[in-house]
Amino acid sequence: MGSRVSLSPELSVADRLHDEIAKLRAQVESLKNDVKLQTATLMTADSTRQILQSQTTGDRQPKASEAVKQRLLTRFQEQSAHKQQSLYRACATITTFKVNDPDPNAVDGGHVLGLRFEVMSKAKFARPYYVMLNRPYANRRYLRVHRHTVPQCIPLSGLAAQHLPPPTAKTDEDPPQKQDLSLFARALRRELVRYHNRAAVIGDMKKAAGLGSKKALDQDSDTAIVDISAADAEAKQISIQWRDGRSGRLIMNDDGGIVKMVVQGDNGQDRETVRRFLGGAVRVEEVTKGLESH
Amino acid sequence: MAPRLSLPTTARLPSSLRVNPSNTSINKALSRLSRPSLLSLVLDWLDPNNQSLCPPLLRENSSDDEEDEFASDLYPPAYSLPELRELYTDMQTRKGGKREVVDRILEGDWRDGLSLYQLAMADLQYLYDHPGTLKWACYKIQRLQTPGHEDDVEADRSYDKIDKLAMHVPRFHPSTFLQNLQSEVLPDVKAHYNFDRPKGLPLLLLRIFVLDSPYNTDLAVSATSGSTSSTTRTVTCFDASRTIYVAFPDASPHIFVSKSQSAGPTTHAETRSLRALVVEGIPKALSRPGERYALKSVNLQTKNLDAMLSLRGSGRSNAAAGGWNVYAGDKAADARTHSPLNPLLPTPPLSDDAVEDDDERAADLRNQETKTLKRALGPETTEEGKQRKRARLVAQARFGDNAKVDDGKGVERVDVLVEDAFPIHAADIEGEDDDQDTEETQQSRSRKPKGRRSGIDASLLQEAEIDEDEDPEQQQRDQNQEADASDENLHRVGPRRTGEGDGDREKWAWRPNVRLSLHGPHVFAGIRQLVEAGFIDGERMPGWMTGEEGVTMGAVRNGRIKGFRGSGL
Repeated sequence: MGSRVSLSPELSVADRLHDEIAKLRAQVESLKNDVKLQTATLMTADSTRQILQSQTTGDRQPKASEAVKQRLLTRFQEQSAHKQQSLYRACATITTFKVNDPDPNAVDGGHVLGLRFEVMSKAKFARPYYVMLNRPYANRRYLRVHRHTVPQCIPLSGLAAQHLPPPTAKTDEDPPQKQDLSLFARALRRELVRYHNRAAVIGDMKKAAGLGSKKALDQDSDTAIVDISAADAEAKQISIQWRDGRSGRLIMNDDGGIVKMVVQGDNGQDRETVRRFLGGAVRVEEVTKGLESH
Repeated sequence: MAPRLSLPTTARLPSSLRVNPSNTSINKALSRLSRPSLLSLVLDWLDPNNQSLCPPLLRENSSDDEEDEFASDLYPPAYSLPELRELYTDMQTRKGGKREVVDRILEGDWRDGLSLYQLAMADLQYLYDHPGTLKWACYKIQRLQTPGHEDDVEADRSYDKIDKLAMHVPRFHPSTFLQNLQSEVLPDVKAHYNFDRPKGLPLLLLRIFVLDSPYNTDLAVSATSGSTSSTTRTVTCFDASRTIYVAFPDASPHIFVSKSQSAGPTTHAETRSLRALVVEGIPKALSRPGERYALKSVNLQTKNLDAMLSLRGSGRSNAAAGGWNVYAGDKAADARTHSPLNPLLPTPPLSDDAVEDDDERAADLRNQETKTLKRALGPETTEEGKQRKRARLVAQARFGDNAKVDDGKGVERVDVLVEDAFPIHAADIEGEDDDQDTEETQQSRSRKPKGRRSGIDASLLQEAEIDEDEDPEQQQRDQNQEADASDENLHRVGPRRTGEGDGDREKWAWRPNVRLSLHGPHVFAGIRQLVEAGFIDGERMPGWMTGEEGVTMGAVRNGRIKGFRGSGL
């Protein structure tokens, strides 16, 4: 922008105005958000409810404010419903909701049951995962996964086959399997959380080895380990690269227990490094602690 | 060149194997690149790290008697690598023709031949420059059941069934995979493999280049080898159709295999069998003792890898395409708005408008049924603005943020076989009136007679054959897996049972074989635009037209794509 200023002062004025407008717009936006937030907070306050309800009971109010009051009251109800829902979502982590399938040919009149899975990672709620279920089987209450947002690294199809088996034909000799939605939801949530935890553990290990950020990597280049990363989709295998060319693979089980570790050096397997790296650890977190203390 | 001893082996072709520059296919491979990408490619070759695989011709030392050797040379070799690099960097800044660069490469610096690695790089560069040149077919990697006991194997029971209960996501290890793949490929076929990671795409690309030769030395690639029969063969060898690309998306149990573009003299059958060979070999190469996998086509074919990745990648959008993708947003802002700690009341998109003018919509529907669209719009110009807004909202509801013209996720072709009964009542009309609105090539034909396909162009014919190939396969699959088959049956029976009065008529209803094929740079964006423009009634449009089923080929029963494709399971 400096060169522009020297070239034509009018342009710079225009630019400055432009900037100012943009800044003001942003300010308006943030203020609007503030207002929304304040309203939401006020609306959920207990005192607000008392005021609103006392007004509704009192009958000396003018008619005009009656409508406003009603509107406020519905708003209050919506807000408290939302609050309750949020509370359930945050604490129960699995919540359900109803969706209407927009497809006019949808099965079961377009009734879809949504499952919402809250997952926390890095001290934040991640975008929830959703599983939408419908009932495509005639005259049966059997559910089937219709749509979902679960990533491929979660074995959703296996879980669905286990806990939500489709109804079998009558000719089949096998006894009809029962579906268990709550088991399905619990198992799926478990998988999701475990996946996130494994990914987080790998992140922690990275940090402990001094590979947390790029800046750190540039500054002290004397870390023995140059790379730690998840080597597979399920984040069960960790690949570790040493500066001197050794590379290792640590395999953990679903819950973060160490299954196996192998390090390849220049001349075959390097068991000494494995021993030093693991230090008798049983869980991956212990390895991370060991790395930190070094 | 002194004749060397060449033994037939089963090893793969080494990357450093050089191909004579007189081979026309090399010329072709290089000259189809643009000048800038050609130059950047050459500079990549000249990278010190690549010297073992693509060394240029350099002068050994600067003694005088050697200069005479190249005195009459048009492109005298350089003395050192930096010098050569500078030369090509100069060419980058200078203007000039592409021919100049190609000549310099072939007659100057790489007159001894280009290595297979260099050829692979050139091919890949072309692919990156022209991402739409290959058509990709998507396959799902599925785990097969492990026979629990030896008797099971002998009784041929539960041997090739897909293990639905598998709680395991297939893992892919490039070098192990290559080793296994090589052992799967027949010994009289030699292949060169090259892995590459394209920029900006979360996938690993494997280029397989196949030669019909039992040798893995110069003999395999030299055009001037002894017998004449091999001469003719080696010329056809370097055909684009002998190259197969396999893409492994990160963290997704799918693979994308390129379909040959059939450029060149090789016959269709040959390329197909080659591809079939590789496709057959891939699951075996992925398998390990006690862990067997099979590939299953998911009826998705497109030229656009981005579209492929959004439908079968590692993200959340796989089974939530179309309007469902409001649930799949994965950005930081999405996480914040959808966090349970967000005290703000959610504002679901379109929630207000959807209820508001419900009656109006009903009136519109009646109008559109009786009149053609043009006339419907004519007298209601006052309503036009409102309708347009409404159409836009409906499109937003059905497509979400998907299927925008500029999202770069365009699928260029969708083939659908409609197997629904012909509607009898006006009230029974369900999806059919949409079809005629969409300006598609609509083909109604019986499946058996082939004579009626004469009007369709060659590619459609090919597609049709594939479709026919796949249909029996699909049926067969349904029979094989009892569970699946029962799904289908129940599902088919369902509506008949519910509509009891229509039961008989439904059973004997005429089911014309309607084949629908939609073409365009971005088919679903096109449908969305038609919805927005009011040519398609967005609310009565069947779900598969939004692309939410995630397939580009499918059979429609009861207005839905058969086999619950959209769930991605």
